[in-house]
Amino acid sequence: MLLDGRGRLVGHSRIAPLPHERRSPRTRPLRRIQPVRIVIVGCGRVGSTLASRMVEEGHEVSIVDENLSAFARLGEDFGGQMVVGSGVDEEVLRRAGIERADCFASVTNGDNRNIMAAQIAKDVFGVKRVITRIYDPIRAEVYREIGLETICPTTIGAALLEEFFLTGHNAAQSGTVETRAAGATG
Amino acid sequence: MAVKPERPYVLIIGGGKVGFYLARHLIERGYEVTLCEKDRARAEWISNQLGTVSIMVGDGDEMAFLATTGIERAGVVVACTGDDEDNLVACQLAKRKFGVPRTIARVNNPTNVKVFRTLGIDVPVSATELLMGLIESELGHSELVRGVAVKASGANLVDVALPELSSLVGRRISELQLPDGELVVCIVRNGKPVLPGPNEHVLQGDELIIYSQTLDIERVSEALSR
Repeated sequence: MLLDGRGRLVGHSRIAPLPHERRSPRTRPLRRIQPVRIVIVGCGRVGSTLASRMVEEGHEVSIVDENLSAFARLGEDFGGQMVVGSGVDEEVLRRAGIERADCFASVTNGDNRNIMAAQIAKDVFGVKRVITRIYDPIRAEVYREIGLETICPTTIGAALLEEFFLTGHNAAQSGTVETRAAGATG
Repeated sequence: MAVKPERPYVLIIGGGKVGFYLARHLIERGYEVTLCEKDRARAEWISNQLGTVSIMVGDGDEMAFLATTGIERAGVVVACTGDDEDNLVACQLAKRKFGVPRTIARVNNPTNVKVFRTLGIDVPVSATELLMGLIESELGHSELVRGVAVKASGANLVDVALPELSSLVGRRISELQLPDGELVVCIVRNGKPVLPGPNEHVLQGDELIIYSQTLDIERVSEALSR
């Protein structure tokens, strides 16, 4: 599925095989993945799924949430770092190792919180690859213009639904978009 | 002939205690004010209290709502909700999307003051920080009170009420060995301001207003007790 800047559907694309599909010895590429250090703010469904996936891939993951109970989503044998605290507090982010992070994602359930956390990561700590989830399509657009990498599930979801109505094709289920949850129970 | 500049239209986001009293204060001083409050019941309560104020019910981070508030002609936007992230976003939208020249944000977590400045907020104000400064000075140096932040330069005005037997009494202003970046800008004598020349003597009961760049209260205090 290909979307233009406003989230309108413009075409289809096969997504490259995901790591778990490569795991069989026959198809696994020889090139080893370069491990990255990633800080994730928000341990909800998306945050915990992302964290588990990346830990499984051998990356160094820190995940931040205000509520200790949120970390239950990660399962007991989670191999990353869990930090209790606010994702819009420099000190908490430092504890999560943001000063040496390569990647940052903010995926709490508050748009503004995500925006602020991502800006701190990008402009205060200079993290190179920063992305934030913004539900409000207008704010997502505004901050994209300002130079923040954003992802808006609202427009993506609406486009998928629209595509199904128009073509009878459910891209989310047919493998065009992968919805695997690696190890996350949420 | 110089034309007196008109008072700017002020848009206040957040009708909590801070927003409410700020709106009342500014209206009394003749400003045109619109207060934005997302909770309808709270907005109605404010409306009953203030009568004349223009109140709009809506979210300060919704572009569509902001566009209905006349924000593009606002001279100042003050975001004073209890959530730093909401204040940040409201100010950024005001500045970047509506061209508001000056944004003031209430900062609830004092460590965010620097962050807000980095992220383009003109004036981040932390009540907690001001309060902490006041309490700190009450605890340690009872005669020193950290005052208001001076626009842009990041300096503070510090109010020093001289203790009764201060060693400074009788000395000239030019003899005070203040650290670099500190300057006595005013003497308050018998409740009246006096412009301190270098030869002005410090008298019993004087209060000194010091422009302080270092904010190093300890050093100022030390200099003044010599």
